[in-house]
Amino acid sequence: MTALLDRAPLGVAVRIARIDWTAMSDDEGRRLREFGLMEGCEVTPRHRGSIFSRDPLALTIGRMQVIIRAKQAAAIEVEAISGETGAA
Amino acid sequence: MTNPIPSIALVGNPNAGKSSLFNALTGARQKIANYPGVTVERKAGHASFADGRPISLIDLPGTYSLTPASLDEAVTRDVILGKQVGERRPDAMIVVVDAANLDNHLCFALELLALGLPTVVALNMLDLAERDGLTLDPARLSRELGVPVVPTVAVRKRGLPELLAAIDGAIQSHQPREAAAAPPNDAALHQRARAIARAATVDETPVRRWTQRVDQVVLHPVGGLILLVTLMFVMFQAVFSWATPFADGLEGLVGVMQSWVVDTFPANFLRDLVVEGLLAGVGAVVVFLPQILILFLFILLLEASGYMARAAFLMDGLMGKVGLSGRGFIPLLSSFACAVPGIMATRAIPDEKDRLTTILIAPLMTCSARMPVYTLIIGAFIPAQKVGGTPIGLQGLVLFGLFLSGIVGALLVALILRRSVTKGNATGFMMEMPRYQWPRAGDIVIALWQRAWIFLRRAGTIIAATTVILWLLLSFPKVPEDSALSQVEYSVGGRIASGLEVLVAPIGFNHDIAVALIPAMAAREVAVSAMATANAIDAGDDEEKMAEQLGERLQGKWSLATALAFLAWFVFAPQCISTIAITRRETNGWKWPLFMVGYLFVLAYAAAGITYWTAVAFGLG
Repeated sequence: MTALLDRAPLGVAVRIARIDWTAMSDDEGRRLREFGLMEGCEVTPRHRGSIFSRDPLALTIGRMQVIIRAKQAAAIEVEAISGETGAA
Repeated sequence: MTNPIPSIALVGNPNAGKSSLFNALTGARQKIANYPGVTVERKAGHASFADGRPISLIDLPGTYSLTPASLDEAVTRDVILGKQVGERRPDAMIVVVDAANLDNHLCFALELLALGLPTVVALNMLDLAERDGLTLDPARLSRELGVPVVPTVAVRKRGLPELLAAIDGAIQSHQPREAAAAPPNDAALHQRARAIARAATVDETPVRRWTQRVDQVVLHPVGGLILLVTLMFVMFQAVFSWATPFADGLEGLVGVMQSWVVDTFPANFLRDLVVEGLLAGVGAVVVFLPQILILFLFILLLEASGYMARAAFLMDGLMGKVGLSGRGFIPLLSSFACAVPGIMATRAIPDEKDRLTTILIAPLMTCSARMPVYTLIIGAFIPAQKVGGTPIGLQGLVLFGLFLSGIVGALLVALILRRSVTKGNATGFMMEMPRYQWPRAGDIVIALWQRAWIFLRRAGTIIAATTVILWLLLSFPKVPEDSALSQVEYSVGGRIASGLEVLVAPIGFNHDIAVALIPAMAAREVAVSAMATANAIDAGDDEEKMAEQLGERLQGKWSLATALAFLAWFVFAPQCISTIAITRRETNGWKWPLFMVGYLFVLAYAAAGITYWTAVAFGLG
């Protein structure tokens, strides 16, 4: 079962199933890959926005925390990691 | 080698602790300049090997790969590849990686290693990695990468002699080799990096990181914002209250120097120039050094601790609404110290329209040069009392209000610009959130010293020069004995100001202000030194009058409405040639700086006018 990263619940680790690279500019796509956001890797959404807006989204990837906008997150399809709730 | 002094570049990802390592290696022996033709800061410094042979070090802007996304990342690539004009290709590289984030940082390291320069990897911030439950094997990492790996803790100066010895060895034993091929694509590169990181990791104990708990509060949708506003509020209160004893001390010192000169030398042209021009003018500005340093101290601490990226996260929602991104928050906050470094910091914003808008609104952030003006007027016209029995000072509150007006004005201007002249797509916002770190006192002291030096140099050059010119204009011709006019009104400068006064009289400005406005174009704080000089000339040799402080003198001459209008003017007025010049350089032409100056003058005039008319309507005129 897949869902989009911008709707994924906070604090639950998920695996990136597919990224729609056409939904963003080349530079944005490259920066995502430089952060290590690629198909097959695990991310945990951590924090989302403030009272002003749902944007942006902070996530943990490996030992790094990165911030992206909901627009890019909406181009990232994620799937549950089987047998885990991923509290890490 | 053609040059006997080897040049070594420090390269690495953002947040790898490069600058700390650079500071630890070079100490205070560093020089900040710009790369020719571009406005990217070039940080160079000197160090020496154990046997005393000198080396030169350059600290390159942090980047994720050799494919640049912004201007400063392009400089890093060009320097390393030897393509940067006016910069010799480095003889060797120190690749700085964060020991706790090898997965990510090794990607760029692998790209760099493929270039074939003599290279040593600094496995930096090893202590923080251990705190996070990681045990690493540097020898294994070295075998995997094929270059020496030296564990370092830059902030404790650990591993530095070993690092220098390793780089010496790498240069001596280096065999020219063909650049090895980097992995063909991003995915392969990351896989290789992850495999190496896994091999070098001996043990990984999952530690429930306290930083996550801190972030639960700091990044809380409501609580985080309250904390941010509180921090800003404390910052501005501190600027006012902590600096007072130091500022009073400096002020006293200037007074002592003036009396000494008056008592020691016979009355002549030169003595008047020194006492009324230089000491009164430059002294009036230098007394604000403590405030500026306190403001910078806060900004540097927020930056070094890792909080600034959190603030950017919190502000992104709001800034997104006016068509900017959280990225712009850091340049804008730096603009509170000075718009020039703030505008330079916009280079990190990848989107062109986003960047342009941020540049155009940066002058609305209350820079430290406005502090002398604000403090003088607030000190003179706003009573130093608490607000309704609370510990909040009224003066600090007014100052906070002025800062806030600048911010609100900036957001509104951005909103309008993004729908008109800088229209474009909604911009992206992607940045890494660094881990929390205890700021190192040494790094902060070096940065503060650099800021203080820049400020004092400005006071000694631009401000001193404009004050002397102004003194000459205001001192001649000498007013005849029987004239009803004061010396300042009678002088050349005073007559020019009288012409200007016609234009600014509708918004409540008097002759004093008109005198101050023109030289204040050179730098905003000159408005204060100009008024100080004018008053010193009018005081003449009357010691009693001279001892009277500038603020007290203004109290007698200005109405409250005029004082408030003057404050409102300075919230918006584009009065600083350096800002205009840096905008021209950063936007490659005169179009945008002229646009900026135009819209800011219109806003300043309107804001001062509305303030004055409202105040008069409430009977404060």
